[in-house]
Order: sequence, then C-alpha cells, then structure tokens
Amino acid sequence: MPKLTIDGREIEVAAGTTVIRAAQQLGIDIPHFCWHPDLSVDGNCRMCVVEIEKQAKLQISCNTAATEGLVVHTDTPRVRAARRSTLEFLLVNHPIDCPVCDQAGECYLQDQYQAYTLHDARTELEEKVHKRKLVDLGPILLDAERCVLCSRCLRFESEVVGTSTLMFANRGNRTEIATFQNRPITHSYAGNLADVCPVGALLSHDFRFKMRVWFLASTPSICPGCSTGCNVYVDQRDGEIYRLRPRRNPEVNKSWLCDPGRAQYKQIGSPERVAVARTRRGAEWSAVPLAAALDVLAAHIKGAGRALAILGTPQATNEDLRALSTLADTTGARLDFRVGDPELKVRELEDGILQRADKNPNTQGALDLGIARSGVDEIIAACRRGEVAVLLLQGPELLRLPAAGVFLEKVPFVAVMATHNEPALERAHLILPAAAWAEIDGTFTNYQRRVQRILRAVPAPGEARPRWDLVGELLRRLGAPLAATSARELFGEVVRAVPEYAGLDYRVLGESGRVAISVGANGHSPLPQV
Amino acid sequence: MATRVITVDRSLKPGIWPLVLGHWETLKNLVRTLILRQASTIEFPEKRRNVSGRYRGIHILTAREDGTPKCVACFMCATVCPAECIYIESGERPEKTIEKYPTRFEIDLLRCVYCGFCVDACPEEAILMSRENDLVGTTREELIIDRDRLMARAKLLDVGTGYHPSEHDVRRPVRIAAIEKLKQERGIGNSRPPRG
Ligand code: SF4
Ligand code: SF4
Ligand code: SF4
Ligand code: SF4
Repeated sequence: MPKLTIDGREIEVAAGTTVIRAAQQLGIDIPHFCWHPDLSVDGNCRMCVVEIEKQAKLQISCNTAATEGLVVHTDTPRVRAARRSTLEFLLVNHPIDCPVCDQAGECYLQDQYQAYTLHDARTELEEKVHKRKLVDLGPILLDAERCVLCSRCLRFESEVVGTSTLMFANRGNRTEIATFQNRPITHSYAGNLADVCPVGALLSHDFRFKMRVWFLASTPSICPGCSTGCNVYVDQRDGEIYRLRPRRNPEVNKSWLCDPGRAQYKQIGSPERVAVARTRRGAEWSAVPLAAALDVLAAHIKGAGRALAILGTPQATNEDLRALSTLADTTGARLDFRVGDPELKVRELEDGILQRADKNPNTQGALDLGIARSGVDEIIAACRRGEVAVLLLQGPELLRLPAAGVFLEKVPFVAVMATHNEPALERAHLILPAAAWAEIDGTFTNYQRRVQRILRAVPAPGEARPRWDLVGELLRRLGAPLAATSARELFGEVVRAVPEYAGLDYRVLGESGRVAISVGANGHSPLPQV
Repeated sequence: MATRVITVDRSLKPGIWPLVLGHWETLKNLVRTLILRQASTIEFPEKRRNVSGRYRGIHILTAREDGTPKCVACFMCATVCPAECIYIESGERPEKTIEKYPTRFEIDLLRCVYCGFCVDACPEEAILMSRENDLVGTTREELIIDRDRLMARAKLLDVGTGYHPSEHDVRRPVRIAAIEKLKQERGIGNSRPPRG
C-alpha cells in the first residue's frame, strides 16, 4: 500500500488509487471538470493539475497513480497560475449568459472562476465563436456554447447506459456536442446527463426555469420508485419539491438515477393528494375530522374481534409495517401484504442498470418483518366467505384488483390509508389520509437488504399523518398504545423484531444505510429469502 | 454598572408661565402660516416636493422596444432583497437569444424597505426606482404590485426616475475595490503565470 504526502499530510492508500482520490480521502478537493468519480478517466480538462516534487512538469492528478513517496502540492502559485490559464482558455468563447442559465449556482465554471481568476474577459462578445443554443434533445436541452468539452456526457452514455447517442462534431474551437441529426435522447437515464455536465450545456427540461438552485434546501432520502432504493436528495423550497437529485452511494446507485425515479417527486405536490379523512354512506362521501374517523374505525375493530383482516403495503416504511404488525398481534387479526406477489421480483433487474421489476421500495423490509403471514389469497377467500367484518388496508393495492368489487361485497367495513385519490378508493368505507414518503421519517430495506433512511423533507398536506402514527392512534383507542412515540423509537422495535437488523439504529445507518447482517443457523430461523 | 438615582421634587408648582409660553408659541405659528405664508408643510397631493434623482421610491420594470419586459428572470434581485419581498416565476421567451422572462413578477411594497439593492443587483437594468412615494391602498393585496403595474409605471413621467444604475454611481468604486480585495484574499494575481 503506497504512502504519499499531499499538502504536507501523509496518507496510505490502496494500490492503484489516483492522486485526486487520495486527496479526496484527506478532504482536499482538487478542482476538475472532466473527472467524475463513477466514470473512466479522460484527463482532457487540465484543471486538476498538481505539483509533484522531483517532477519537472505539472501533473494531472486524475490520471497520476499514487505511488510510494510522492510529495504532492495541490495549491502552489504555479498550480494556481496553470488553473487560471486553463479557465481563461475555457471561457474564451463562453457566452456569459449565467443570468438565464439554470446551472448557475451549481456550475463548476462559476465556482472555479470565483476561486481562481475573477478576470475580465479579453475577448469581446462579438468576437466569440457562436455555437448552437437551445437544441431540444427530448428530456434534455443542449446549449453548445456553454460546453467545456469535458466528454463526461459521452463517457456516461457509453459506459453506463451503453448508448453513445452523443458525439463531438467539428474541429478546433468549433468543436461541439451533438446527436446524430439532432435526434432526441430516448433512454431512461437522460436526467443524469444534466447532472454529469459540469456546466449548463446539458440541462433538464423538467427543471428548466423552475427555480434558482440556491433557493433549494436538500434533504437526503431514498427513491421510492423500485426495490433498488437509489439514494437521492429531495430539493425543496417552502414545502414545494422541485426536483430529485442523485446522492452518491457507490454500493447502490453510484451517482445515477433513472428518469421514472427522478419523476417521483411529482406525486408529492399532486392535487390528487388525500388531505382529510372521508367516510362513505351509500354512495355519498363526506369529509370527517381525522380523530372522529379513527374513533369510528376503532369502534368497528373492537366490534369485529378476530374477524379483522389487515393488509400491509410494501410502499410503507419498516416503522409503518412494525406498527401494523403490532396491531395484528394485539387484535389477533389476519395479516399479509403480498398483493400480486411482488417479492418474487424484488431482486429482478429490469434493464441491467438500476431499475428493478418490483416497483415497491420496501418489499424486503416487509418480508423481514414477517408481514407475510396469512396469505393474501386466504384473506380474499375469508372475505368471500363473509368471515371478515373489518378489513384494514395500509395501501390501496387490494382495492385495485379487478375482482375486488366482488369479494369485498361481503365485508361490511373496509378502511384504507391512502396518499392519493383514485377510483379504486370508492370501494372502501373509510379513507384515512396518509403522509407520503417525502413527508415522513423512516427506513426502507432495499433488494440487497440494505436498510436506508428516508427523512421528512416537506410537511404533509392537511391532516395526513405517517401510517405508523395512524395505527398508533388506533392502538391507543383500543387501550394498547404503542410504546414508541417516534419513527426513531419504532425502528428500535423493528431491530428487536428482526435479528438480522441487530446493532442498527438511525445513527448507525447514517446517510448511506447498512446491509443487514445475515444470521446463521444459530438459533434464528432464516428469514424468507427470495 | 452603577445606577444613578435622581430625586425629583414634585411639590414645586410650575405656576402660570409654561401656559403663557405655550400660547405664545402657538400664536407665533399662526401668524407665520396664515399671515406671512411661511408654512413648512405643503398641500399634498396637489403639490409635491422635488426629490433627488437618486430617490428610492416605488419600483419600475423597464421594457424592451417591443414592450416586453427587459427582465430575464435571473432572480438576482429576489436573491439580494433583504425583505424577501420579490416573487418571480419564469418562463420561456420565443426568441432564442433571450430565452427567459418573468411570467410573474411581484413586489410586496409593504415589506419592501426601499434599500435599492435590487436595482444594484440587476444585470439588465431591468428594475429601477421611481420618485413616487405615496403608497395608498385599502387592502394589503393592492400593495403587492404585479408585473403589469410595475411596467406601466414607466409611463409615469411626472414622478420621474429615481434610483437607477449609472456610471456616476457612488457605489461603483466600492464594488471594484471589493473585487480587488477578494482577489487578494484568494491569492489571485493579475500577472502572467510564472515560468516553471
Ligand atoms: S455537454 Fe457538458 S458533459 Fe458534455 S462535454 Fe460539454 S460540458 Fe462536458
Ligand atoms: S432505479 Fe428504482 S430506486 Fe433507482 S431511481 Fe429508478 S425507480 Fe428509483
Ligand atoms: S428596494 Fe430593497 S427591500 Fe425593496 S424590493 Fe428592492 S431589494 Fe427588496
Ligand atoms: S435582477 Fe433584474 S433581470 Fe434579474 S430578475 Fe431581477 S429585475 Fe429581472
């Protein structure tokens, strides 16, 4: 393992580590454009130069291996002068349209101009080489004038997606990014192009002109789009979410997100959100205060005794599911969650990149918590036989089944926790407003059995509450209140219930989660594996 | 800190003199305004004071020749505004050269502190201030003025332009000095790179 010195500090790194990564391990950020932690090295931008003792010329740190005894200086007058020249060169033909550019505020050019040059341009605007602007590439908008020709987008396309839609066209200072015949980008990872582009040359159509980035506050969370559980930042301002951004996790999603996942934020502010509780009498729906709705439901549950059936949802957090299984234990109800057997798909990769066939974020968590008990078919059969007096649904999946209209006929009372209005909800008798993923604290367990935290980024609409809280309120009314009063405490109960989660808590999970340990044959029964 | 205690003798009677002096003062003012016509008040709003060309009154959004707003919705003014009273929503302009413009631009004049920072921040000279200072409304909503009202104000020639960017701007040298100071702090030289 080579040992080297960077800016006077010694560090030992794995063989084959580059100087730029070794510096990052020391918390030293070396400026760069073309280097990207999850793409191959190209070494074309010359911004990451450093001075290495006993080497006559400056070296690019992204492509210099950290070898034994290197003495590296990342911030000397020579280095600064070289970076200054590089930047001045990159900016020669830059259109300086930051006021209308969405990248402003998170642009490498702006940041490094501030840090290294602050120069006045030596070229007049009229003398600059002009290139194509506002080229519509489907989900992406190309402005070739702002491009610094770093080739990150090209490498992303060929190395991650394997499409190579983009190319460099022309020569010299007329070189620009293009697609063949301006054809749009059609793969479902296009949003990443706007992220990898260090400047405003590739921008997202979806986020275009929505908000200046410096107004946005970011909350780390997890994409609820599928069982991959990509790490994201939820960017919001005043309770309104404007975009999801990938949060780098080398073990899960690297620096990428799929486009359907990126669009998940749109459900949160949707006008179709369920904000208040509603009850149905005949075909008439009326809004009721949440407390009253819970009173009604608790009364029905008390009356039903063991004729209660509960269905969880793999959209819910581990904490929600734990509260639900506590309710089932207290009441002796039937419990399951597998509508359509999603667990079969939990590890099935759909496209060889990120997206998985199971579109639920927490199927594995539900399996780990033992929510799969009575069998959904058995619960449906019990409904048909008229053995179910109250059916409590944590999500609307069951109601969506085409046969639901028939088998629910014999169930006198169906209550559902829902985040969004949909026609299927009409089949219930009581709708409870549930907070959605961006509005709650909790954990999801992804396909790798990595337990990852989601954090509350925005307030829930109206009276909507986390599902565990709704169940907690029910339990209180049934005279057996939950011991836990927060998601954090409930996670403690989850950990006690699932031996594989031993030793985990919110602090241990941190921002990038932990893979649950696998417990051997020593006493614990192996959990349902797929 | 030591506290100093003052004892006031309340038993003293002031007598008639304060009353006489007060009336004398009133009488003098009556003669000055009614007879000598030397009042320091004016008959507002028929008469207005002549205020300086740098007066920071109600804002104006300037227009291009075709009547569309000059503003490119860069949010610099909204960013710098200490009162957080500028609300902008942006949209796409048809011309490829300009791209962006405000579809909504509102200033809450009740929150504004008339500091003029928005004028300083604007890269387009799109927001100026007028000399108008009589802010009257019967509801709060009326005093949140929108894009069209801000633009129509450019026609209010009788009030005149107030604070606006110019090369005589006293803050200009201050800004240049600030950039030089930044360069020094960040170790940025103006010289050519040394040969190594
Ligand atoms: S478009 Fe962006 S990512 Fe692609 S080469 Fe240009 S600057 Fe780099
Ligand atoms: S792959 Fe799955 S988890 Fe990742 S962004 Fe897409 S939908 Fe979300
Ligand atoms: S004058 Fe000051 S407070 Fe008023 S809008 Fe402009 S920046 Fe904001
Ligand atoms: S700073 Fe000027 S151009 Fe930018 S949004 Fe404000 S008024 Fe418009």
